[in-house]
Amino acid sequence: MPRRVAIVGVGLTRCSSWRRDVSYPELVYEAVSAALQDCDIGPDAVDAVVYGSMDPFDGLNAPERWCVDACASAGALNKPLLKISTGGTTGGSAALGGYYHVASGMFDVVLVVCSQRVGETLDAQRVLNTAVDPVYERGFGAGAITVAAIQATSHMHYYGTTEEDLAMVAVQNHENSSNNPYAHLRFKFTVEDALNSRMLSTPLRLSDCCPSSDGACAVIFASEEKAPKLAKHPAWVRACGQITDNYFMGDRPWAEDWDSLAILARRIYRLAKIDNPRREIDVAELYQAFTIQQILEYEALGFCQKGEGAKLIRDGTTSMQGELPVDPSGGVLCNNPIGASGLIRVAEAALQVMGKAEQRQVPNVKTALAHAWGATIGFHTLMVLDKQAP
Amino acid sequence: MVGRVAVVGVGQTYHEEAKSSQSYYDVAFEAATKALEDAALDKGEIDTVIASGWDVADGRTISDMYLVPAASGYLKDSAKAAEDGVLAFAYACMRLAAGAFDTALVIAHGHTEHPPELVSNVVFDPFFFRPMGASTITTLALQACAYADKYGVTPEQAAAVVAKNRRNAVDNPYAHLRSPVSVEDVVRSPPVAWPLRALDCPPRSVGAVALVLATGERIRRIRSDVAWLRGIGWAVDGYELGAADLWRLPSLAAATARAYAAASIKNPLDELDVAEVHDITSYHELMAYEALGWAQPGGGARLLEEGVTGRGGKLPVNPSGGVLSTNLHAGSGLLRVAEAVLQVTGRAGAHQVEGARMALAHGVSAAAGPAAAGNCVVVLGRD
Repeated sequence: MPRRVAIVGVGLTRCSSWRRDVSYPELVYEAVSAALQDCDIGPDAVDAVVYGSMDPFDGLNAPERWCVDACASAGALNKPLLKISTGGTTGGSAALGGYYHVASGMFDVVLVVCSQRVGETLDAQRVLNTAVDPVYERGFGAGAITVAAIQATSHMHYYGTTEEDLAMVAVQNHENSSNNPYAHLRFKFTVEDALNSRMLSTPLRLSDCCPSSDGACAVIFASEEKAPKLAKHPAWVRACGQITDNYFMGDRPWAEDWDSLAILARRIYRLAKIDNPRREIDVAELYQAFTIQQILEYEALGFCQKGEGAKLIRDGTTSMQGELPVDPSGGVLCNNPIGASGLIRVAEAALQVMGKAEQRQVPNVKTALAHAWGATIGFHTLMVLDKQAP
Repeated sequence: MVGRVAVVGVGQTYHEEAKSSQSYYDVAFEAATKALEDAALDKGEIDTVIASGWDVADGRTISDMYLVPAASGYLKDSAKAAEDGVLAFAYACMRLAAGAFDTALVIAHGHTEHPPELVSNVVFDPFFFRPMGASTITTLALQACAYADKYGVTPEQAAAVVAKNRRNAVDNPYAHLRSPVSVEDVVRSPPVAWPLRALDCPPRSVGAVALVLATGERIRRIRSDVAWLRGIGWAVDGYELGAADLWRLPSLAAATARAYAAASIKNPLDELDVAEVHDITSYHELMAYEALGWAQPGGGARLLEEGVTGRGGKLPVNPSGGVLSTNLHAGSGLLRVAEAVLQVTGRAGAHQVEGARMALAHGVSAAAGPAAAGNCVVVLGRD
């Protein structure tokens, strides 16, 4: 059995289209110092650092080197640092990295920090296009939005989901993000406004899509011996994992169902001993860069039957007042510093478990789920956090 | 660490200047397949896959999208260390030690058909270092220059490292450059960045390397001649070159201290039988001798001149030919680990060091970074 591991500190930065008020290391320092303060430790207490970012979106190579002093802070250099990059899942993968650093028994206190300055990217979709095979798939413009549009079209065709359903997802998330001081987009709109917004990639409109954001996030993982000393209510990792789908999109043709996520969810629920996710999970932070994905995720994660995702939006099940609130932060739809977005999901889930989510707090959270997807929908990560040590 | 970890399979491609008939994933697939065959495991028996590499250098965003499935990772738990493969190895060790998985496959590749100078320039901040032309090779040259200046190391003394390693590579069928060179050849080769000349610098090689790791009960069921992980440590330097003592490698010293402590090594020269060091330049092999605790500061060249690190010496270094003979952009560090595994399991063929029981592998996570700033040390034992 792995050593028990908990999250003891969280640091978020303000996010916007372009954080031109700070340099890259300053942005990272903002997140790191907030996390260290959150559990009241100095940089010397950190045994190792896990860094996550998607370099091509920064236009930098290995920004962790430029930012290394901001991570470790002065006087704490020559520590172990491991960089992890897996596309949109980077933040989720980095969180897993932090977990395994501690679970291995090699380290007691590990700082996980992720950053991204999408604001400095000329065209993120073009950069993402270089992910797919240059011979077969690059030419038709595969990226994030085009793939999500295929998911939406397919879901509408097979399950009758409508543009209005997507608009309702957008409205719900923007409602939530107005309570989140760290979100990038913090304005509300109506379903009608959403349906009148510009079409970007049929059937996805501007209101269905995430922004490009600058931001960073830091999370501190600690061993079972250290965790109770560093946090009043640590968020214990009950289970976590990642899954890898086929490289070629043509080899994963069922766009209306997210099978790879469903497989991962079954594995993680088994590890976490969760039989009925809808009842046993109190809040979920899902990675929905596009509205349609939140609907697919409900189904893949077993919150409802296949094809019934839109119903959970329509009947308010996943609203802040509902049975299973999803994305109280507003999610990726309202804030997307790509390489950090997955870690922000983990951070938000941890804040919910620790009871520190302020205006966006869901009452009485015991169990929270954090998700990320990446790699033109080829990767997923999940982490179940709990108030109770496993 | 919680659980014991061993390397049970090694696979590498033949490394060469270009592989125009193979795509990126074909090259990775070849190395992964060889590693699985070496461990006599089916791809279904691998629990987790850790890839490595720098997307910006690969020109492919999210390169693990193709690396992981090519390395038996379809529908499995995977990750990518955006580092040299040696740190993917470190991550795989942690995953196994945690007891969450029984087997792991680590994959690293090199695809530097084009000079990585531009992509290593964008490692640096756009305000000060980038306009100066800082890159991997120019910052390595700054270190070499500071080192040579501080300790009076001559170009000939550095060139002796190249002559040694290139001679060793003749016996390694997988090496990229397999022709010996003399000290004379090195000091007469064209200058690249003072004091580095063309032959002081590694080549750019295309190829891949994969390792299969296992833990616990699983190890004995796979094979008996395994390389046990005895110790591992890694560390990274600060960013500001102007604030660093460029003549030494503090992060390597920090990584070494962790690895030796875990392996209970007190007298490395006596206890180690063979080492594979990341000789990213000739000078850096000498600097590594010192950071690894084999010589006093400035004493690296003498260690070489006394023949300690030559074939037949007390501690042969880079019997495979090292990075100066084969340089897989993001795989050179992992290739050091692979060679160390072959040595302690007695399977290194013509470049086998007789009776090697304890080996050290040193990898620099180099391509991403100012100078040789990220270092990892792995100690492997037959017992």
